[in-house]
Amino acid sequence: MLHYYILLPFLAALLIGLLAKKENRIHTGWLVLPVPALLFIIFCSKLPVLAKGKIVHSTADWIPSLDIQLSFYLDGLSMLFSLLITGIGSLVVLYSIFYLSRKEQLVHFYVYLLLFMGSMLGVVLSDNVFVLYTFWEFTSISSFLLIGFWFYRERSTYGAQKSMLVTVFGGLSMLGALILLSITAETNSIREMIANRSLILESDLFIPILILLLLGAFTKSAQFPFHSWLPDAMEAPTPVSAYLHSATMVKAGLYLVARFSLIFSGTDAFFIIVSGFGLITLCIGSILASRQTDLKGILAYSTISQLGMIMAMLGFGTGVAILAAIFHIFNHATFKGSLFMIAGIVDHETGTRDIRRLGGLYTFMPISATLAFIGAFSMAGVPLPIFNGFLSKEMFFDSSLKLEQSTGLAGAFAEWMPVFAVLGSIFTFVYSMYLVFGTFLGKQKIDQLEKKPHEAPIGMLLSPIILIIFVIGVGLLPNLINEPLLAPAVAAVTGDLPHTHLAFWHGLNAPFYMSLLVIGVGALLAYTLKRWQPVYNMIPRKFSSDHWYQSIVNGLLKSSKSITSFYMTGSLRLYLSIILVFLVLTTAIFIYLTNGFILSFDDLAPITWPEVLVGFVMAAAAIATIWMNKRIAAIIVVGVVGYGLSLLFVFFRAPDLALTQLIVETISVALFLLCFAHLPKLKKSDKRPSEKLIDLTIAVSTGALLTIVAIASHSSKTFDSIAEYFVDNSYKLGGGDNIVNVILVDFRGLDTLFEITVLGLAALGIFAMIKYRDKGDMNQ
Amino acid sequence: MMSNLVFLPIFIPLFVGALLVFLKNRHQLTIKISYLTVLLNLGLSIFLSYFVFTHHPLVLETGGWKAPFGIILVADKLSVIMTLSVNVIALASVIFASSSVTSKMTKHYFYPLFFILIAGVSGAFLTGDLFNLFVFFEVLLMASYGLIIIGGSKQQFRESVKYILLNLFSSILFVTTVAFLYSVTGTVNMAQLGERVAEVEQQGILTGIAILLFVVFATKGALFPLYFWLPKSYIVPSPVVSALFGALLTKVGVYSMLRVYTLIFSHKLELTHTFFIWVAAITMLIGVIGALSTSNVKLIIAYNIMPAIGFMLLGIGTFSAESLAGTIYYLIHDMAIKAALFFLAGLLVWHAGTSNLNKMGGYIKTSPLLGWMFFIAALILAGIPPFSGFIGKYLLLRGAFDEEHYFVAGIGLLSSLLILFSVIRIFIGAFWGELKEPKEKVRRSGLVASGLLIAISILLGVGAEWFYPYIQSAADNLIDPQIYIDFVLKE
Amino acid sequence: MEIVMSILAGTLFAAGVYLLLQKQLIKIVLGTVLLSHGAHLFILTMGKLNRGAPPILEKGITEYTDPLPQALILTSIVISFGITSFLLVLAYRTYQSNKTDMMDQLRGTDDE
Repeated sequence: MLHYYILLPFLAALLIGLLAKKENRIHTGWLVLPVPALLFIIFCSKLPVLAKGKIVHSTADWIPSLDIQLSFYLDGLSMLFSLLITGIGSLVVLYSIFYLSRKEQLVHFYVYLLLFMGSMLGVVLSDNVFVLYTFWEFTSISSFLLIGFWFYRERSTYGAQKSMLVTVFGGLSMLGALILLSITAETNSIREMIANRSLILESDLFIPILILLLLGAFTKSAQFPFHSWLPDAMEAPTPVSAYLHSATMVKAGLYLVARFSLIFSGTDAFFIIVSGFGLITLCIGSILASRQTDLKGILAYSTISQLGMIMAMLGFGTGVAILAAIFHIFNHATFKGSLFMIAGIVDHETGTRDIRRLGGLYTFMPISATLAFIGAFSMAGVPLPIFNGFLSKEMFFDSSLKLEQSTGLAGAFAEWMPVFAVLGSIFTFVYSMYLVFGTFLGKQKIDQLEKKPHEAPIGMLLSPIILIIFVIGVGLLPNLINEPLLAPAVAAVTGDLPHTHLAFWHGLNAPFYMSLLVIGVGALLAYTLKRWQPVYNMIPRKFSSDHWYQSIVNGLLKSSKSITSFYMTGSLRLYLSIILVFLVLTTAIFIYLTNGFILSFDDLAPITWPEVLVGFVMAAAAIATIWMNKRIAAIIVVGVVGYGLSLLFVFFRAPDLALTQLIVETISVALFLLCFAHLPKLKKSDKRPSEKLIDLTIAVSTGALLTIVAIASHSSKTFDSIAEYFVDNSYKLGGGDNIVNVILVDFRGLDTLFEITVLGLAALGIFAMIKYRDKGDMNQ
Repeated sequence: MMSNLVFLPIFIPLFVGALLVFLKNRHQLTIKISYLTVLLNLGLSIFLSYFVFTHHPLVLETGGWKAPFGIILVADKLSVIMTLSVNVIALASVIFASSSVTSKMTKHYFYPLFFILIAGVSGAFLTGDLFNLFVFFEVLLMASYGLIIIGGSKQQFRESVKYILLNLFSSILFVTTVAFLYSVTGTVNMAQLGERVAEVEQQGILTGIAILLFVVFATKGALFPLYFWLPKSYIVPSPVVSALFGALLTKVGVYSMLRVYTLIFSHKLELTHTFFIWVAAITMLIGVIGALSTSNVKLIIAYNIMPAIGFMLLGIGTFSAESLAGTIYYLIHDMAIKAALFFLAGLLVWHAGTSNLNKMGGYIKTSPLLGWMFFIAALILAGIPPFSGFIGKYLLLRGAFDEEHYFVAGIGLLSSLLILFSVIRIFIGAFWGELKEPKEKVRRSGLVASGLLIAISILLGVGAEWFYPYIQSAADNLIDPQIYIDFVLKE
Repeated sequence: MEIVMSILAGTLFAAGVYLLLQKQLIKIVLGTVLLSHGAHLFILTMGKLNRGAPPILEKGITEYTDPLPQALILTSIVISFGITSFLLVLAYRTYQSNKTDMMDQLRGTDDE
């Protein structure tokens, strides 16, 4: 059945793409809404099955010969993500109905959105790694299209291209990892890989596999140093930002790490890399968030930072940490989703998202403001029992203190984890306050706004309200979702069902003191933000990840240009020289390596002087051609070579050849005379001596090489020639005395047929060239 | 009786080509005959493939002379796959040509040259004789010389001179090398060459000869550092000619390598094939760097020929059943998608009135169909699943990883990214952004031709299960050359 | 004798290659002619030279020169002839349309 759930959004996309007209009486969103809503209900109905510790799976054929099968399974982890994808998806579609005007290209928008939804479901439900990869790339593509939705804006296309390059880069390295995993573990199924994990852990390729896989996860989840695509992705319509770029797609990287945790978790490398980069991302994201002036910019950096925090917890790998990570994935989706929607509302109602032009909006839009405050306080981890964000943050602190790593590098690393956790959380607190206080409280600046702000319509507020209800509800009664949703998800990541009771109050323990520290310092910093914000300007631009991206891309384009123009000069001489040098060098090296040169004086014809004399004249004439400065003279010396050749044919008992060569040579000379009369005179070569020397070296070595191969070939005749058959059967079977003629017309008649074709084609080409002379280009 | 069928894919286009020489002033009639011919030929090659896969390979002894003495045409699994692909490209080309080839071009013998090119290419795929392969090379090259200058612009003359001279040199080298090989082995029949080279374990000068031959095929097949002549000469003719060149000509080089370095020279793998792998890696990288270096839309597509050839050579170099299947899969995929992209680039350039990407923009508004086709074609080219490019790439990378060529496989992955970048740049630059006034409407038949090829590419990927087993069995026959030798020589 | 002929053919090749590397189109075309001659001589040498009678059957003679290379050369001569003629006319047309026959002025990097 799982296939149909994944197929449904794709089918809907197809239907809407084909059927929906540009001008609809109702908003296209209403047609789309049932799809995620229905799927959400279906997934919810499976919750009891999973609670019993079972999983749902189904398989269908795709490419059985390559063991790439459409096998899907739904366990606790996939369930959590599926519910987010369909649940937040429904709310986002609902929100978008009010957000996007009917003048926009709605059909495109919803087709992309449904493509994304289906692909994302595919990612989290696939058991076959290559099917997972397929859907993974499709999420990148649909994200590309959604970011570029307003394709005429330069910022949109920039953001779209950037997100595609970064995430496809990660996708491809992940593909490398998956192929290596599949080779090492001898299976394409994730579940079987987990079962065969000892093969992977013992493999020499363990570290490369881990790094390649994590590159995929880190790029997708915008981890440092790949985070810079996410702020640029904010050019997408706000519903997309809320959906793809905060609640779902960017969490695909987390999903991947969680999914493969059962294989990698517990190793030092996994711990150091995943929690290391996670914590760096947490700190950098939160610090940079306070610098932004665009509301969505703040939220984007905030998302980066929160993703870093979850990544760090996945890296910790302990039961508490995983539970906290899973819990926070859920919580983040609720409060960040609502905050994005509020940011969209502010944008919609005021015409700007620039926090410098906003302020005091509380009086105009009290509902939005209240929702934003609840969301932001939950994000900041304010210790009240109504904020789900506080609960998971507390667990994060707790897990950072209870790391199992104690020895070696990992142990040293582990000791510093709480410090970074606190640092990142302080700035999280700062930007959360900055965001809501700057927007909704403080001085009103209505004169700077394009329109007079007022509260959003109820339809638009509905989705954020629902999300905030979840924030508070889960904050109050966390155990409501613990048993059915979180515990099975944790079990899927760690292998054991956790028995933790989620509670608001754990007594005056270390995590609580850490929270107090965060709030104290955070409040102070937030209050004085205006005064120290200029410090950001002291960070040189060359430290920013966007700068790195641009330097890489521009450097790539620029160096491509210089590399290519270096050899693509259009010069025939250069092209030929390279080909010849390559020919001579590689052949010579291979002959040397295989001891290929054999010289044998057996079985040679005796040297007779007439032939040698003719040969000498031919060689002299050939070399003389180089110095000929008169057209006639050049033709004559080349003619000497040709006629000499026919003489040699006579000597070497090839009468037919001699005759043909004679005729062809004569016609050629005539042709040369005719054409050369129309061509300019021969000029003396104006090449520098060094160029001449290079030409000479190349020419002589090419000639020498072929001579050497020829002598060696002649010296190693090992087999009887098939020609004996021709001698024996020419008359008997071919009916002719002249063996060469019989070969041409009979034994190898096909050659002759096509040789004539070539001649005919040449005639055709010549005729066309001479007869039709167009000045212009007729292709246009 | 059945074996006579093997000659038809060569003979029909040859005959029609010759016939059309006399109908050069009857433009409409020529188009009708062309349609009939390509459809007939396509049907025939489908039947041939069906027969070979369900029964046995076919060997036609021309003139009734049995191998190794006469020239034989061999329709084994690989050959029929190639012939079938050629005819699909031929069909698409005729569709494209029907609106883009003017009556003036018909007068310049476009159709005769086109059909004889097809005959030459099919002949190269079917022949079992090395010297005859040379002859077919000359046929297809001579036809291509004629095609490249149709239009008669000065750029065309300029580039075609270089194109012809370089190909002429490699042809002369080819025929000389065949003679060397004849001297050592006393034969030019490919099966017997395979047998005899195996018998002496590729001793002595044979590896040197193998490398000479490699240079010949690598020049035709556009490998680093031998392809420099290619990009510019492929973009000067009319788009349909560019597409034919891009889809077919380089592939003849690849096919020849695929044949010769499995059937004949496969006894010094650690030397020759390791060398191939490195050439493949550099070709991929430098080729795709070329594609990033320019804003000329046609040139970007032309440069993308090289990384694809690199991928195919990687499979030959890796030399496992899996990787050879990858090469064949990639070969077919690349024929279709390269032709499609050359078509689309041609349509785009006509639409925009310029080939400079910086002067284009916003055409998704004026020609959405072209835009989306280009987008999908770009994804297919870059090897995004579930399209055809992925299956070939997957097999090739898997083969490379399996044989522990990690570095080269890494380059393959990296160049996939850069390939995507190079073509998505066209999509973003030409179809997104501010609308710049287009010059003319997009030609419908051009879209039909491209659409056909894109549909095939999608089918090759999504329906991989319908094709892959056949391709794998063709590859299995390559890895064990004795099958071919026994069939040809001891029938 | 075969060694002498191989050296001669190699010399023709070298001269041809040298001409191919020149700037003027005429010289390059002449170079291709020398290359073909060299190739044909190589082919002939790769049979055995001067062994037996010309390959025309006569009573009482059992030893004949290897006929196969001769047949291959014949095919090749005709093909080379076709291509050379084509090339000559093309050179003429190129000169006409581009107003130069110097390869360094036919690079074509300027007009994109």
